[in-house]
Formats: sequence, structure tokens, C-alpha cells
Amino acid sequence: MIKNETLVRPSLNMSWITRLSNELAQAWAIAIKDIKAYYLSPTTVLWAFIMPLAMWSCFVVRQNLPGEAGLSRLLGIITFFSTSSIGPVIILLERRMHTYDRLLVAPMSLWTVIIGKSLVGIMFGLMVCILPIFLGLAVFHLEIASFIIMLPALILSAAVFSALGTLFASGSAQMPCEVLIPTMLLRFPLLFISGTFIPLNQMEPWMRTLSYISPLTYAQDLLNHAIVGTSMLANGFIWPEGIQFCKIVGKDMAGGVMDPLFDLVMLLVFLVLFVVPSMMLHKRSRRLGY
Amino acid sequence: MGTQFAIEVRNLCKSYDKLLAVDHIDFQVPEGEIFGFLGPNGAGKTTTIKMLISLLAPDEGQALVCGYDVERQPYEAKRQFGVVPEEANVYTELSPWDNLMFTAQIYRVPVNERKRRIEALLERFGLQGKRSDKVFTLSKGMRQRLSLAMALIHEPKVLFLDEPILGLDVQSALMIKDHIRQLNAQGTTIFLTTHQIDMADDICQRVAIIDNGQIAAIESPENLKAAIEGRRTVEVVVTNGGTNKQYASLAKLPGVTQAIRQGEKIRLYTGDPPTVLTGVMAFAHQESLPVMAINTNGPSLEEVFMVVTGKGMGAARRKHPGAECKGCPVKEVCDSEKEETDNKPKKHHSRFLKGSCEH
Repeated sequence: MIKNETLVRPSLNMSWITRLSNELAQAWAIAIKDIKAYYLSPTTVLWAFIMPLAMWSCFVVRQNLPGEAGLSRLLGIITFFSTSSIGPVIILLERRMHTYDRLLVAPMSLWTVIIGKSLVGIMFGLMVCILPIFLGLAVFHLEIASFIIMLPALILSAAVFSALGTLFASGSAQMPCEVLIPTMLLRFPLLFISGTFIPLNQMEPWMRTLSYISPLTYAQDLLNHAIVGTSMLANGFIWPEGIQFCKIVGKDMAGGVMDPLFDLVMLLVFLVLFVVPSMMLHKRSRRLGY
Repeated sequence: MGTQFAIEVRNLCKSYDKLLAVDHIDFQVPEGEIFGFLGPNGAGKTTTIKMLISLLAPDEGQALVCGYDVERQPYEAKRQFGVVPEEANVYTELSPWDNLMFTAQIYRVPVNERKRRIEALLERFGLQGKRSDKVFTLSKGMRQRLSLAMALIHEPKVLFLDEPILGLDVQSALMIKDHIRQLNAQGTTIFLTTHQIDMADDICQRVAIIDNGQIAAIESPENLKAAIEGRRTVEVVVTNGGTNKQYASLAKLPGVTQAIRQGEKIRLYTGDPPTVLTGVMAFAHQESLPVMAINTNGPSLEEVFMVVTGKGMGAARRKHPGAECKGCPVKEVCDSEKEETDNKPKKHHSRFLKGSCEH
């Protein structure tokens, strides 16, 4: 190996604050560009509304839930679908058109690219949630239990699901169908085991066990805390598998099975679980050349 | 620490599975030079340029741009160069203005400079009238010009261009070439890849010929011209065939250095096409030879390779026979097929696991 110490210039002496602010500005630029180029098309916006509304109508309406509970589930479905499905398709589209290469050769870290791509999902998810919240408040006169919890709930949920979508697009897939099919195979089961379509207390125990490993469970629970004011996994619904789970994570049963802080922590864990492999897959693709 | 080279490549190597795409290449490009990478499709040009712009991780070796290691100092290195890829990768759903503004943002062009630079670039590349139109309405030539403009927004010291005029009409190609010359006159180092000899001859100050992942030669265009001159051809097509004697006589015309007959066609190699043309026409008139067509052609890329490298395409001479492969996936095969070095032709790395190899 040829020694290179005498050939290489020293790195730039840039403070971490300057570098961080540059990277955040670049991530923001990526998000705004994606919004302008892809997310504001009528087809995308309509799809983001109609698909979740259709599923909500099919599975939730017939349960005759109170308005707040229905709104909570609708927001859960909208956030889940709108942030996890459009992002990966756009990444693949940009890969095929080689515009994704523009981001990879620009002077910014891979983290910035991934954060920028996830950020646009968050923004879009929040944007799409505005209409049902407005209708719920203004037309149906619903009462939101806690706005202070609702905003971070929506933001963090959108971030987690957006990161999930980015993870699917970080592999070697070249065609949109190579991403859409696996994500559909994952998304629909998650909807059924997370308490969104089927109340947890009506599930078989083995299904409820699976709900604890679904990020949508914690997102839905957090939204329930925010809008309804109670957890779907609260004291009134303590199941044997829930007790086991709490023992594993060291949760105090007296405080309820799930509280907002615990939901937030679990969502952050899932965020890391989705973002880190995404980074690794990006680096792998750079090494293998696809 | 200063550096006299804008681009420096040491022992760069890249394999895709069992295919050795770039085989331990070395070269240096001084600041302010227009350097061409000339080779056929599949030679390794794009793989090399992808490693230089940090789009692809090399298996081995080192690439420096303006003194910064592309792998270990990507942030610093990427600020030094702009990239114009083979296919203009512009955002078709945005306007040229939005494309340029986005590029200015991700390259951290100072905020108070952005509008001025965008206006200047739009005017320079003739896109003022299309500044607000969506890019998908623009022609291919306009998109390529926009791609070039986007590569220049941050005023890079080095510009990488991958087949910059491929598929463009003559006018657009001339415009791109002019822009490249102007940029170089202003001090920008240009690194471009092409498979067109004319492109390399026209604007490059030095050209590296790459074939099968190896650099066969680094020559100035003057040397390429010298090789080209002797390899021009006059091609004569005779209807209903001529006699063998007539073909033999054509081969002996003044100025003809070599003749190859292919059925009813005979190709006469010469360094003086006008003299041979005159001789052919006089001979055809004298012998009443039914000539259907006469064409004069420049050498093919393969012929230039043969003249410059002394070998045909696909068997390029290794420039650094002493270098050994370390860490490259095909090392085992190379070791097993190495011959003794004393007075024997050395074998280079086989690109595939099976097959002979030769230096």
C-alpha cells in the first residue's frame, strides 16, 4: 500500500456547529425539493387521503367507536401510509434517473441524505393530517385530550414510518414494484396486529404478543393518549403476555402498561432500528456499485 | 499543504463480482489541464470516474482530488469538483431555476451569491428564456447544458464530465466543447471520458487510453494524430467483382501502405488519401473497373489502439508490470497463472476466472 501522508492535504478546520448547521440546511433543502418535485402532485395528495380513508371506513367505522377514538385511528392510518409508501418509490425513481447520485456526490454526509428523505415524509404526513384534525374539531366538535402530546406523537410516528420506507428503498431494489410489494406485505399485517383495525382486547393472545413488536402499536397508543386521553394498553387491559413484556422491559405495572413516555422511547428505539440499517445498506450499495 | 496535481490516482482497483473493471491504474492530472479518458464501451471509464467522485468505493488504491483523499476526506474533496454525468440527471419536475437553486443550497453557495450566479449561468448557457419551464419540456441538449450549469454553480476547481456530448446534435456538441475550453481557460481542470477519438483529439491536452480496465497509454493528441495519419483508409467497392490482378494493382498504387480485401471491397491504408484517391480513379478509368463506391475513413478506435499499444483491443499492455494485486478478488487466479518474468511475456490479471491472460 502506497503511503500517502505526504500527499494528502489536512482536513478543513470547520467547527462542529458550522458543519451541523450546514448539514441541517442541506437536509432541509432536500426535503423542500422533494415536496416541490414529487409530493405536491394531485395524484400523490389524493392517494395520501383516499387510501387511508378507505381503510378507515372499511375497518374502523363499523366498530361504532367514539369520535375521538375514530379520529385517533384515522390519524394513525394516515401517518402510517402516507409516510412509509411514497418515500421509497421516490428514492427508486431518483435512482433510475440518476438524480439520487446528485445527493451522493454533494458535500454532505449520508446521514444528511437519509434525514432529508425522512424529513419530507414527516412534513407530508403532518400536512395530510391537518384536514381530518380540522374536520374533527370544527365539524364534529371533537375534543382533543392533549395537544402537547399530539404534535410530538404525529412527528415521531411520521419519522419512524418514513425511516421504515427509506429502509426498504436502501437495498438493491431498482424497480418500484420491488419495494411496493414487500412494504405492502409488511404494512397490512402491522395494521391488523397494532390495535388500529382490531381492538387489542378482541385479539387472540398470540396476536397481542406480536403487537408489542410493531412500531404502529406504540404510535397508535401515543395518539390515543393525545386524542382520547387514555392508552389502549392501560390498566383496564392487562393481559398475561403484557405482564411478561413489562417484566422484560422493567416497567412498573402500577403506572399502567403503557404511558406516553414509554411509547415515545419505544418509537425512538424503532427509529434507530430503521435508520442504522438504512445507512449500512447505502454503504453496501456504494461498495457493490448499484 | 499545496499540491501540484488536481487529480491523482494510485493503484486504483475495482471489481464487480468476478469482473475486474479497473485494474490498478495510476495517473496524475496537473492543475489546469484538460485530460481525456478514451476507451471503448466497457473499458472502465465510468467506473473510474465514479470512484473519483466518491460514488463508488474502490477495492484498492487511492484517489486524490486537489490533494484531498476522496475516501477519507469526502466532504473536503466533494467541494472541489463538479460532475456532469453521461445522462443529464436533472430534476425534470422542477424548472432550471429551481434545479440551480437546489444545487446552490446543497453545495452551500453563500446566500447572497446564489441569485447572481444562477442568473449568470442561465445567461451563459442560453437558458434564460426557459428558466421557469419544467425541465421535462426541454430538449436533450438544453438538459445537458443545465447539467453543466449545475456542476458549475459552486465554482469548482475540477470538472468531471462523463461522455459529455453523447447523443447531442452537432450544435449542442459544439456549444458544450466551447464551454469546456472557456472553463479551462479560466483555470478549471477538466477530466472527461469519451469513446470518440475526435472529441479527445479536439479538446484534450493529454489522453489516457483505457481498455479492459487498464491504461494502455497516456499520449498527447499529437501522438494520436501521428498514429491516425498512417491509418486513414480509402475504401473501394467494385460491382460484379474485379480480377485478382486488378485488386493486386490497387494495392500497389503510390501512397498505399497496406491493403485488405473483403469480398468486393478493398480497403487501402494510407497516410495520403488524396494521392491514393487520384490513383484509384485513374486506375478505374484505365481498366474500366466498375467502381460502385469510394469512401475515405479515419481509423477505427480499434486501429488506433493497435497502433498506439501494439496490441488489439482486449489485450492492452500493462503499464506497471511490477505491481501485484493485493486484496483484489481475482488474486488467486492471477497468482496461479503467473509466468516467470525473465525474458518471457508477463501475464496480466485475467478479467474472468477462466481464460488466458497476457501482458
